[in-house]
Amino acid sequence: MHTALQKALELILNGDRELGNILLVTARMSLSSSLIAMLIGVPAGIFLGAFRFPGRQIWIILNRTLMGMPPVVCGLLLYLLFSGVGPFGKWKMLFTVRIMVLAQVLLITPLVVANLETYVASVSPSVRESARGLGLGRGKTFLLLVNECVYPIFSTYLLAFARAIAEVGAVSMVGGAIAWKTNVMTTAIMQYTNRGNFSLGIALGMILMAVSLAVNIVVSLLQRRLK
Amino acid sequence: MKRTFAWILAAALTLALLAGCGTQTTPPAATEPPAATQQPAAAETPAPEPEPEVTPEPESEAPASTVNTVILKEADSAMINTYTLLAVNPEAPFTDADGNAVSDVSINTAGAQALIDWLLSDEGLDMAVNYGQADYGDSLFYLLDGAPHYTGEIEPATPETATIRLSTTTSVNDSGLLGNLLPVFEEEYGYTVEIQSAGTGKAIAAAKYGNADLILVHAKSQEEAFVADGFAYVLPGFESERLSFLYNFFVLCGPSEDPAGVASSESVLDAFAAIADGKYTFISRGDGSGTHTKELSLWPEALGITAEPESFADYTDWYVSANAGMGACLVMAEEMGAYILTDKATFLTFQVNGGIMN
Repeated sequence: MHTALQKALELILNGDRELGNILLVTARMSLSSSLIAMLIGVPAGIFLGAFRFPGRQIWIILNRTLMGMPPVVCGLLLYLLFSGVGPFGKWKMLFTVRIMVLAQVLLITPLVVANLETYVASVSPSVRESARGLGLGRGKTFLLLVNECVYPIFSTYLLAFARAIAEVGAVSMVGGAIAWKTNVMTTAIMQYTNRGNFSLGIALGMILMAVSLAVNIVVSLLQRRLK
Repeated sequence: MKRTFAWILAAALTLALLAGCGTQTTPPAATEPPAATQQPAAAETPAPEPEPEVTPEPESEAPASTVNTVILKEADSAMINTYTLLAVNPEAPFTDADGNAVSDVSINTAGAQALIDWLLSDEGLDMAVNYGQADYGDSLFYLLDGAPHYTGEIEPATPETATIRLSTTTSVNDSGLLGNLLPVFEEEYGYTVEIQSAGTGKAIAAAKYGNADLILVHAKSQEEAFVADGFAYVLPGFESERLSFLYNFFVLCGPSEDPAGVASSESVLDAFAAIADGKYTFISRGDGSGTHTKELSLWPEALGITAEPESFADYTDWYVSANAGMGACLVMAEEMGAYILTDKATFLTFQVNGGIMN
């Protein structure tokens, strides 16, 4: 552990160029995928939680099933679809950050939806009551609900981000862990582990946790201000 | 609501900026090659052990090394490890995951040709055979007798051909060979080489799925099957699909005490037989890599060990199928005091780094 800590500090203090690139790609990937997943998942989750419509239960079960999709399976599926021989091979998206984001959005969105759905289902009766009292339409009621959800949205965002930054199975498959291009923290850790360089792996893990801590502090502070 | 999103946006921007600073604040003098790992200690380590004479206790020669695993058997003709370049045939009979034929797979043939031309040019070969002198006092790769040699012009990159996808084995990548060679090629001709490194089996699979323009692997039987299936083709100016150009040796390593006495065995085949006879722990890569393929060919035939898990089900008390990379397997062998087959380049890297795990 001691050596690992020393290595982590060395890497940071020396401004290791490859580490910088890995951090940049990691940030790009996990920020975009978590934000996109939020953009899709929050409205979908609130909608599922707030409104009763035929087939709602099926959607909820389907979504909960998707939450359990193993990342490797998600990665493998996209790998086959976007391979040179796959139906989307023409798009040349394999081994790019974009497809890594796509894989993560597929993995994270169900979590976001489920989180919001559960919360909204518990608060929606009272919100709808007051909406009806105020004589608001469906659209306005929806906005009112969104407003109610600000706090859980932040918590959900942290969940989404945590999943994105820590995920390795899918991104190593579709990203290929190509140096200077698609290598992120987790895949780099895998690589060093496979080479037997365990302490460098731990060093990167420490840096990853530090980044995660920083994001959590920032978002939690924001969350408190809004409360 | 607006305020919320403004905050999220601000946070995202700050983060992106922070990450960006990390890369830009590097001192401009940092022209070091983008080697995966900077190991300043490696260069200072006194000359590594003089090797050809295999003695049971080379330990004393390497005071810096804390590794107990040593090379016990090498330079056997059965242990030659040949590296081969194959350009992926754009007209190959590609099939999708369901076995349906796919005709229009895009392969960067011009890029693959340029990289192969360069690797087989005077400059490329020279760099490859001298690689390792600085760090290990010995070349890690040698030039194969009668290796193809390219003397013509090398096509510079165009926007369409600039990205070359090279699928290769962990040994060439982890030993640092490609990290040493490719920047020179990229600089000179304007290409970007994207390296995916995995075991030979996976490297070949990537090419069959249309995800590589060329492969650099080391398992003759798998290469020949790749050629026979029509996935490789003869590049203009060369005579064969399989362009074997570098070699080094697989080495049989094990604990310095050498309980099976393999260091004094006649041949490597006898050494493997001795390990199996005494049921001494042996770590197998078990991942379809070139090293794994080689290992399978060295066991006494009577044992019937193949890549199939059933074939070694009876030997699990000593035969460990690790299904992991070379480095991870070496660490495992060191921990368990086990025997292991490895390519020499990876082993020397492992040894110079002191077994790494601490």
